[in-house]
Amino acid sequence: MEQKQGDTYRYGMVIDLDKCTGCGTCMIACAAENNVSVRPDQTDKERTITWMKLYKITNGKEFPNTEVSYFPRPCMHCEEDGRGHHQPSCVSVCVATATKLDHNTGIVSQIYTRCIGCRYCQAACPYGARYFNWWDTYFPKGKGLERYLSPEISPRMRGVVEKCTFCHHRLMRAKTQAYAEVRTDLEEHEYTTACAEACPVQAITFGDLNNPEHKVSQMIKSPYAFRLLERLNTKPKVYYISTKDWVRKLADNYLPGEFKPVTRATG
Amino acid sequence: MEINRRHFIALIVGGAAGINATPLPWKSTDDIAIWTQNWPWVPVPPTGEFSHVKSVCTLCPGGCGIEVRKVDDRAVKIEGRTDYPVNPGGICPLGMGGLQLLYNESIRFTGPMKRVGPRGSGKFIAITWDEALSTIADRISDLRKQERPEALAAIDGNPTGSTMASMIERLLKAVGSPNYVRIPSAEDTCRMTNLVMQGTENPMAYDLENADYILSFGSGLLEGWGAPGRVMNAWGLWHEHTAKRTVRVVQIESRASNTASKADQWLAPKPGTEAALALGLAHVIIKDRLYNADFVDAYSFGFNNWASSDGKNHMGYKAMVLNSYSPDQVAEITGLRPKNIVDLARDFAGAKTPIATCGKGKGYLNGSLYEFMAVQSLNALVGNINMPGGVLVGDPPPLSPLPEIQKDAIASEGLKKPRLDHAGGRRYPFSKSLISNLAQTIIKSPKSPVNTLLVFSANPDFTLPDGGVFREALKKIPFIVSFSPYQDETSDMADLILPDHTSPEKTDDGGWPTGLQYPLYGISKPVVKPVYATRHSGDVIMQLAKRLGGSVGSSFPWKKYDDVLKERAKGLFDAQAGLVHYDGSVPAWKRLRERGSVTPDYKTFDDMWKKIKAGGLWYLPVHAYKNWERLFKTPTGKFEFFSTRIELAFNDYALKISEETALKNMGIAEKGDAVFMPHYEPALSDADRSAYPLLMMPYEMINLASGWTPNPPYLNKTIFDNQLRKDESFAEINPKTASKYRLKEGDRVIIKSPTGTVQVRVNLFEGAMPGIVYLPLGFGHTAYDEFSRGKGVNPNDIIHVEKDPLSGHPVWWNTPVQLIKV
Amino acid sequence: MDSPLLPEGVKRCSTTTFLLWTLPWLALLAWGGLSAFLCLWKGLNQTNMSNVFAFALWIVFDLAIIALGAGAFFTGFLTYIVGKGELKNVINAAVIIGFICYSGAMGMLGIDIGQPIRGWFIFWHANIHSMLVEVSFCITCYLMVLGIEFIPLILKNRQLDKIRELHIFGHSLHEIMAVFAATGTFLSFFHQGSLGGMFGVLYARPFAAREGFYIWPWTFFLFILSAIAAGPCFTILCTKLAEKISRKKLVPDNAIQLLAKISAWLLSIYMVLKIADTLGWIYGVVPRAGLKFIDFYREGPYGIWLVVCEILIFGIIPAIILLVPKARQHQGWLITACLLNCTGIVLNRFVFIIVTLAIPVMPFDRFWSYLPTWQEWGIAMAVIGYGFLLFSAAYRYLPVFPQERELNPVTE
Ligand SMILES: Nc1nc2c(c(=O)[nH]1)N[C@H]1C(S)=C(S)[C@@H](COP(=O)(O)OP(=O)(O)OC[C@H]3O[C@@H](n4cnc5c(=O)[nH]c(N)nc54)[C@H](O)[C@@H]3O)O[C@H]1N2
Ligand SMILES: Nc1nc2c(c(=O)[nH]1)N[C@H]1C(S)=C(S)[C@@H](COP(=O)(O)OP(=O)(O)OC[C@H]3O[C@@H](n4cnc5c(=O)[nH]c(N)nc54)[C@H](O)[C@@H]3O)O[C@H]1N2
Ligand code: SF4
Ligand code: SF4
Ligand code: SF4
Ligand code: SF4
Ligand code: SF4
Ligand SMILES: [Mo]
Repeated sequence: MEQKQGDTYRYGMVIDLDKCTGCGTCMIACAAENNVSVRPDQTDKERTITWMKLYKITNGKEFPNTEVSYFPRPCMHCEEDGRGHHQPSCVSVCVATATKLDHNTGIVSQIYTRCIGCRYCQAACPYGARYFNWWDTYFPKGKGLERYLSPEISPRMRGVVEKCTFCHHRLMRAKTQAYAEVRTDLEEHEYTTACAEACPVQAITFGDLNNPEHKVSQMIKSPYAFRLLERLNTKPKVYYISTKDWVRKLADNYLPGEFKPVTRATG
Repeated sequence: MEINRRHFIALIVGGAAGINATPLPWKSTDDIAIWTQNWPWVPVPPTGEFSHVKSVCTLCPGGCGIEVRKVDDRAVKIEGRTDYPVNPGGICPLGMGGLQLLYNESIRFTGPMKRVGPRGSGKFIAITWDEALSTIADRISDLRKQERPEALAAIDGNPTGSTMASMIERLLKAVGSPNYVRIPSAEDTCRMTNLVMQGTENPMAYDLENADYILSFGSGLLEGWGAPGRVMNAWGLWHEHTAKRTVRVVQIESRASNTASKADQWLAPKPGTEAALALGLAHVIIKDRLYNADFVDAYSFGFNNWASSDGKNHMGYKAMVLNSYSPDQVAEITGLRPKNIVDLARDFAGAKTPIATCGKGKGYLNGSLYEFMAVQSLNALVGNINMPGGVLVGDPPPLSPLPEIQKDAIASEGLKKPRLDHAGGRRYPFSKSLISNLAQTIIKSPKSPVNTLLVFSANPDFTLPDGGVFREALKKIPFIVSFSPYQDETSDMADLILPDHTSPEKTDDGGWPTGLQYPLYGISKPVVKPVYATRHSGDVIMQLAKRLGGSVGSSFPWKKYDDVLKERAKGLFDAQAGLVHYDGSVPAWKRLRERGSVTPDYKTFDDMWKKIKAGGLWYLPVHAYKNWERLFKTPTGKFEFFSTRIELAFNDYALKISEETALKNMGIAEKGDAVFMPHYEPALSDADRSAYPLLMMPYEMINLASGWTPNPPYLNKTIFDNQLRKDESFAEINPKTASKYRLKEGDRVIIKSPTGTVQVRVNLFEGAMPGIVYLPLGFGHTAYDEFSRGKGVNPNDIIHVEKDPLSGHPVWWNTPVQLIKV
Repeated sequence: MDSPLLPEGVKRCSTTTFLLWTLPWLALLAWGGLSAFLCLWKGLNQTNMSNVFAFALWIVFDLAIIALGAGAFFTGFLTYIVGKGELKNVINAAVIIGFICYSGAMGMLGIDIGQPIRGWFIFWHANIHSMLVEVSFCITCYLMVLGIEFIPLILKNRQLDKIRELHIFGHSLHEIMAVFAATGTFLSFFHQGSLGGMFGVLYARPFAAREGFYIWPWTFFLFILSAIAAGPCFTILCTKLAEKISRKKLVPDNAIQLLAKISAWLLSIYMVLKIADTLGWIYGVVPRAGLKFIDFYREGPYGIWLVVCEILIFGIIPAIILLVPKARQHQGWLITACLLNCTGIVLNRFVFIIVTLAIPVMPFDRFWSYLPTWQEWGIAMAVIGYGFLLFSAAYRYLPVFPQERELNPVTE
């Protein structure tokens, strides 16, 4: 039996694209937090690993009316696969049950030691959020770079898929702390992700979408809030906010006349 | 028994069945799967005791508060501090990747070294600190014995006002050399602007958080300008309310940078014409009487026409601007439409607290003095100087001065010699140092006048926008000593390496964060024990002084660098104000706006010092607003639209030679009274523009270290593959310009300037101004390791340098180029 | 030299000629061996697969040969279950081709996954929702069934057959072959379907996603149909090739014609359903995702020609040729039609794998292209080499074609 979605917590993220500067700190914070491997050539964007990835978009207008904006894209921690099954696309296809949706938190996990590297989940994810380890993790002896690795996250072996986990270890950390203080509930500030924490303009907000007190659950009510590829019904828990029509329009596919600009709003 | 076929088959079948009935195949299948989960070559980070150390990032002059997560002795993550006023919470990409600079043996020096290979080959062997120190001490002693201490020179990239900068300058003075040369930046231009218009040499400080209109003349607010952690935090504040924003940001820049794109409005004048635009705005503001007459009338000089004591009539700023900078005239110069100029001027003047900022990109590179003056004149017109939400002219953190330097006869004689870079001389009266002049002097002399060069926290071989001139000069210098912890391009040219600690390994102050509107003293602490046999350059200077002995030794009476820091901090205590704790619920900018008073949160000096070292912070979030009578230290005591300081300096020079020659030598094309006022000077070029019909402009990115430090490999993840692919970097070119050269996306092209050529690939970008080729700054290293070396090209290599009028700093935004399709 | 091993009463080339014949195939195997070694030793960075092209040449090859190998189970089904006696003359060949295709595919999959040593996790930690789990279970079981179907034939080797126990064992197996044929049919139907299901359930990729019946998207049924429509044609092609190379008639015409006729009907039904499915997709899935049909055919080399080829040139045309008795009885037309049909199925599998992945779903994402490396080709070519070797050896040493003796009396 599937549990009902979000019985307890439903962690999610809101990214304000008007604020986002495209600085990439979130990408680096994520890599540094999660021991993501770096290779000498990172320009092979098809194979390099970026749990959080910035997509650069432009409004397509000619100089000097050109505008650039960015979509920071972590894993969306989808709730459904697009046909109403309570499993994200990547989870329902995984052969070895190496990735799971935790119905208590809404977090989609990834178990590296279980993954066999078949990459079916990559084919299933429409957001390109999953990354395969094409190489061994790169920490040559002569560099000593492995000294900054964090013991909270195991470096991945070659041949398995990895992705954003909403910094799951930070949830564990917060829970351990709460447990030590004989509490069960977590405060909003106790669990946040490395990317949200690092963003120098505070464009990323993280919290429990089920909790009306949390900022995220208020922010997603904005008329300017939307999700990527919303009409595929994958029900992502990552939301975006932008007042710019051209940005919102690029977040999904629309037939001519389908896109509705936000007329007057009170965001 | 005879073994027949039957037995054989029975054996095989029975054997197979038997083996499968045992646990052997199943166990070994499981075992090797477990092996794949524990491959010995996949690192297993050792766990241990977690701790968090609060410190301050000194990787750039931004001075963000950071908290480093440690596991036993290892630093494993850098995070922003919420209890720090500069950057409450966030940090920049560079700071975030900082541990990859600490823990990367292939880019660091593991101890003192001397060169063994040919220069530039990067071949060194380890020596002892004793040998290293005596080598350099002997050289300096020899120079002093030969009574030419001025042949010692130092290049310093430490932030202005930092203790390290004062120690290095002190060493040079004690030895007897005037040739202390700093790496130039936009801050230098700002200081000169303040000097000639406001009479103080303080940096520009912008109360960004309280402003409601930011008119940025190319400042890369999102590219790493100012104190990046602080500016981006301000950006977040401006955008706090998605749909009801009250703050407007307008970017003046030729290219759709991130700042230009994300700004509320973007205007793209031709590069180098910003001064004309600023004056065009002034024209509209004056004509429409939108300026702050109270301020202008009472606290400014040279606005209206005036007569000097000798009875001569002078043109004022108003007349000059009304005559020469009408929207039509400015539209002609800048390529903008007159309506843009009029609307922009009205918006700017109509805002409550508008600020016009200067300093292009990150501000790593100097600006144009007259342009900065023109921009600052806008702030004066709207009277937003020393007002909440305006440009504040405050004092730096009140650090105690160090005791007088002891000078023996040799030193005193040496200090009388002229500077090799002519900075502060008659031609360049306002510049403190001019590194490109130093390079030219060395190149032009038959024998390098610099015998021994010390390089601190700088990599001029790579970072100077001078078409490789400095690199040539380095080759001629007989002996180079690098204090860099990194194997950078300049160190590769060095003969001796005395490696410093890196930022997380040492205690150091980073200077007043660039552009911050209240005094703040930030100090880093050793987050980890030094990883290698490096030494704090501050301590090394003192050890060197001891060895030199005499007056040099006695100029450095301290035991260790920490003592110097402590001595300077006395002034902070004596100020009887200031805080050493930051409470996020009362942001410093709010305190400033609300004009609250500050009660020191410490008692004795020792208490203060202990707390500063623990929290890395002392700050004073108060400001004496208005206060204009006391503020302007100009000869007239007012804000000078007409700079009497320039006039004095010019007349002094013109007296010796003719006015015309003086103007020519100072590089000024304008004549008459305008020379002393902000005005527009078209960038000159000796290049044949028919052979080089396009311009090349370098551009900066916050996610690529372009000077200050090596680029942490993580940052490469954020570089798009139309900026760098494999080892080739890309030029951004407007599709219209590209089509003239039949260039398509990804084509290879040679960019040729009168100075040199680079080969890149083409990125068609609508956001690039037609006629201009944009190259990213920060690629093209020949040093460091496989993460940086040989990746892309360095646009500095082809910059065709001219001198900025009056300041003498390089004009790096006017390199004529042509494209040759490969 | 190896004459004691050869079947009685048939003519075979000399040992030397045979060895020479195997050389190119051994070379392909060596190429593949080196590629496999590199991929296992250094990792899948030896390929040009990527996070965009998570599936690539190997999966296309896998799906193609598994579809073509469908001749085995379907011929078995017709022979043993439906009772089409004339197909006994091709059943051995069909089984061997099936065995080659399935074992080749399994071998490729073993290299294709990032952690081959953990491959058994599919079974141990199976996720019942995953179509790929269904595929893996069925293929593995079916490969065993194919093995069992192959064994009696191997035991008919002249020397092996002399051993009484083996003779009895082989014969008994043969007697109960219908049971295995039935099992194999069931398994095959399922995994052919699951292979289609794998793509049809990519609900978040509108290019592949399909509506369906219960847990199965239409591609589930279309893959079964297309496989059983193309499989027999592939069997025909293989026997024709064997006849051409051995310069002998090996299979009576009635068997071939029966296969062709069945293929014709299946292909026709498939085409009707495929067109219906395409229309359903164009007017259902696609607009719901905010897209137009043509949006999928704008990027890179993947234009509308794909649809024209798949449906018209490689679908309707061979169906018509095979349907018309005159045409299919003509040797040239028969082979042309079989070739077109088989190409069509390969193209179909290619489109579902490569084009699906190449077309970005997010509007701001970009199109990527993909070209396999020599290592990828090496593994794929090795399967071809392996196929030729195994089939040649089987032909040489086993009585693959029961009618060979009658059709080619040896005149001493
Ligand atoms: N992430 C990160 N942040 C950093 C640093 C770092 O290394 N990494 N370094 C720090 C340091 S040391 C500093 S000093 C700051 C400084 O930062 P800025 O003052 O902000 O920088 P610039 O690089 O001079 O400006 C370059 C751009 O401005 C335009 N431009 C510049 N001058 C002119 C001009 O005169 N005319 C015209 N027409 N256009 C012009 C061009 O479009 C060009 O693209 O950044 C700090 N921040
Ligand atoms: N290409 C390019 N050139 C530029 C600029 C630019 O943005 N791009 N900007 C200009 C500006 S504004 C500036 S401020 C300068 C900066 O110019 P420099 O100061 O010359 O340049 P960097 O390469 O940043 O110097 C940093 C070097 O200092 C050393 N270093 C780093 N950390 C430490 C430390 O903790 N201690 C010591 N002792 N040394 C350390 C390393 O050798 C490092 O490479 O560059 C100027 N030139
Ligand atoms: S850190 Fe923040 S501002 Fe920078 S790219 Fe990420 S979301 Fe955007
Ligand atoms: S974004 Fe992709 S990887 Fe993440 S849950 Fe959704 S389908 Fe899975
Ligand atoms: S690659 Fe790993 S996580 Fe993805 S489907 Fe295969 S086993 Fe599951
Ligand atoms: S939530 Fe954590 S894992 Fe996910 S992108 Fe952000 S930092 Fe990375
Ligand atoms: S902005 Fe400067 S001080 Fe702040 S984290 Fe970045 S490099 Fe460090
Ligand atoms: Mo700088």
